[in-house]
Amino acid sequence: MTETRRKTKQNHLLLAQKVLHITLERGMRAGEHLPEQAFSRACGVSRTPIRSAFKILENNSILSWREEAGYFLEIETREEHAEALRKLEGLEDSLAQRILSDRAERRIGEVQSASALVRRYNVSRSAVLNALKILSYEGIVSQLPGRSWAFQPILDSPTSVDESLAFRLTLEPQAILTPSFSMDFKRAGLLRNQMDDILKQPDGRITFSAFQSTDTEFHSFIAECSGNRFIRGALLAHHRLRRTTQKDDSIPDFRLRQSLAEHLEILDSLESKQFDLAADQMVLHLRKSKVRRPEAANRGIPPMKRGKQT
Amino acid sequence: MTDSPTIAFFPEASFGAALNCVGIAQQLRLLGANPVFICHPGFTGLFTEYGFREFHLPDTERNSAEMNADYWQNFITTHLPHFNLTPFEQLDTYVTPAWDAIVDTVETVEDGLKDLLAQIKPDVIVLDNVIMFPAIANAGCPWVRVVSCAETEIPDPKVPPYLSGLSARDTEACHRFQKSYLSNIRPQHQRYNDFRKAKGLHVLPAGTFLETSPWLNLLLSPEAVRYERADALSEKQFVFLDGCVRDQGHFKPPQFAIDVGPLIYMSFGSLGASDTDLIGRMIHVFADLPARFLVNVGGFLESYDAVPDNVILGSWFPQPSVVEQCALFIHHGGNNSFCEALYYGVPSLVMPYCWDGHDNAQRCNETGVGLSVDRATWTEASLKSTIIELLKNDAMNAHLAETSARMKKHRGTLHAAEAVLKIANAKI
Repeated sequence: MTETRRKTKQNHLLLAQKVLHITLERGMRAGEHLPEQAFSRACGVSRTPIRSAFKILENNSILSWREEAGYFLEIETREEHAEALRKLEGLEDSLAQRILSDRAERRIGEVQSASALVRRYNVSRSAVLNALKILSYEGIVSQLPGRSWAFQPILDSPTSVDESLAFRLTLEPQAILTPSFSMDFKRAGLLRNQMDDILKQPDGRITFSAFQSTDTEFHSFIAECSGNRFIRGALLAHHRLRRTTQKDDSIPDFRLRQSLAEHLEILDSLESKQFDLAADQMVLHLRKSKVRRPEAANRGIPPMKRGKQT
Repeated sequence: MTDSPTIAFFPEASFGAALNCVGIAQQLRLLGANPVFICHPGFTGLFTEYGFREFHLPDTERNSAEMNADYWQNFITTHLPHFNLTPFEQLDTYVTPAWDAIVDTVETVEDGLKDLLAQIKPDVIVLDNVIMFPAIANAGCPWVRVVSCAETEIPDPKVPPYLSGLSARDTEACHRFQKSYLSNIRPQHQRYNDFRKAKGLHVLPAGTFLETSPWLNLLLSPEAVRYERADALSEKQFVFLDGCVRDQGHFKPPQFAIDVGPLIYMSFGSLGASDTDLIGRMIHVFADLPARFLVNVGGFLESYDAVPDNVILGSWFPQPSVVEQCALFIHHGGNNSFCEALYYGVPSLVMPYCWDGHDNAQRCNETGVGLSVDRATWTEASLKSTIIELLKNDAMNAHLAETSARMKKHRGTLHAAEAVLKIANAKI
């Protein structure tokens, strides 16, 4: 029960961060109204969690609430947004996030003891153990015999991103082809609206974080619809890992839009129950999403291909 | 003939040339042309991500996965020590072998390139390279040369020799360098001229591997760093672009664990990223500076650990947008990097390691748009003081702001696209 409450709170925090990314991307000014319906649509969730996210933002003086008028933005500049995001990340689970972020940025090594983390973050041992428990629940760390904890592979290098894509190519089409694949049409509609909204952004204004949030949501949705519980579990865990550790600002605007359009085509096929076609479209989508840029190039010599270096 | 002329871009297999051509092609597309790309093996897919059709040169045996990895391992092991040498010393160790490899490429791709051009039937070919490919000269359509290296690539008595890293004022050293350069590369040049003759092209004078285009030559070189020339370049044939910065989308800086201070970006290009020892030592210095650092480490991310809280590493950054938001750009003097720094009015700290990086480093010092640091001799103290000096140099930043405003107004990519389209339309 406690675990469920913690997860719900965490989802609301993530949603609050998403709301802030949207206000920033839309260039919203201080004093501007945040309509619940528009944000529910933009985030692909119902109004109830949006209200919870707004409430978190209000509690942190990022939004204000006016009787019979709703929520209004209290910040405006990029710096104020950055500060607000920092504030949110400083809330519950911040230590787990910091540990994960430090690992993804190669500040800490692959194997850590709780004592080393206590020293690094200057927090109590119980706080560290709680954070490790959260990360363990997400499948990001595992306890070794003794007192050490080991990070599992994360998406922090071109090689691991390639491996992730290969893993997904194996499972995601199969997730669609399971006989008991069952789609939540309402949620599909919300996702569709969310992607349409991103596609309406002016050229060059789609940020990777906005894209990634929708992308992982779409692929998690496909996993959730699958009738095979093992495929579903493996994919959902992997998409959580992608959401928290994958960073790739190299994808040009054209490909981000193309990728969203491919999501919409897959939804079209699923809605018309053309599962074979949707699975094939998923293969095509994932193959096109592979970064093929060489790792290094120099005049006169063959470019260094992607993959593990010897 | 359709209303939409087909412009075939053929950039060399380097990121600078490839992305420079993307910038021009993006504008050509907006102007209604049909830009397509001819790709060297290894660049497959890069241009598709920007929405352009690709035509692929056949892969070769030397580019098989296993040989490719071995080749790069050997290349890095062999040449890393050479990057610490002076431009003069690099003539033997780096420049001559590089020309050998470049001539190899021309010979290797000739047949495949000829076949692709016959398939594409371009109205104009845009060549961004340092050498001519006979298939292009013989394609039967106008071709445009993009000079995306430093301006020194186009010789003049008042311009220092290409790749020398010298000032034009140092005439004796310039003379000595040029004499040695011509002597060193004579066998490669002879081999190339023999190949040209066999393909029906005229031979080129000593040291020249690429003739100027009779139709159009596009030079990136921004006005702020341009050389005075004894023989002015014909305005009809040569168009200065004042930079050529592509549209890469908006980059949102990540949150740093220590999130205060100016943002500094460091990238030595994909080849420079192979010097993980040098970058590691620099990151160690960054830890003590009151700034935030984004560091491009290319394909070598896994070589780093214990990264300081004010540093974030990445295997790729959307450079134009990153540079736009930075207070300082530490780079290798690659011409695209140098031009992007000028375009966004950001001072450069240049640490060159080869080719025209030396020329841009020298020009950066000479024109007051940044400072260069010798990669072999810097110390922790000298690097720190140079970074702080560049961050605090108000006069330099004011000069750069003016340069930036001028370059943005000039809109190099659009200027280039219009000039290319004019050639295409004249042909039609």
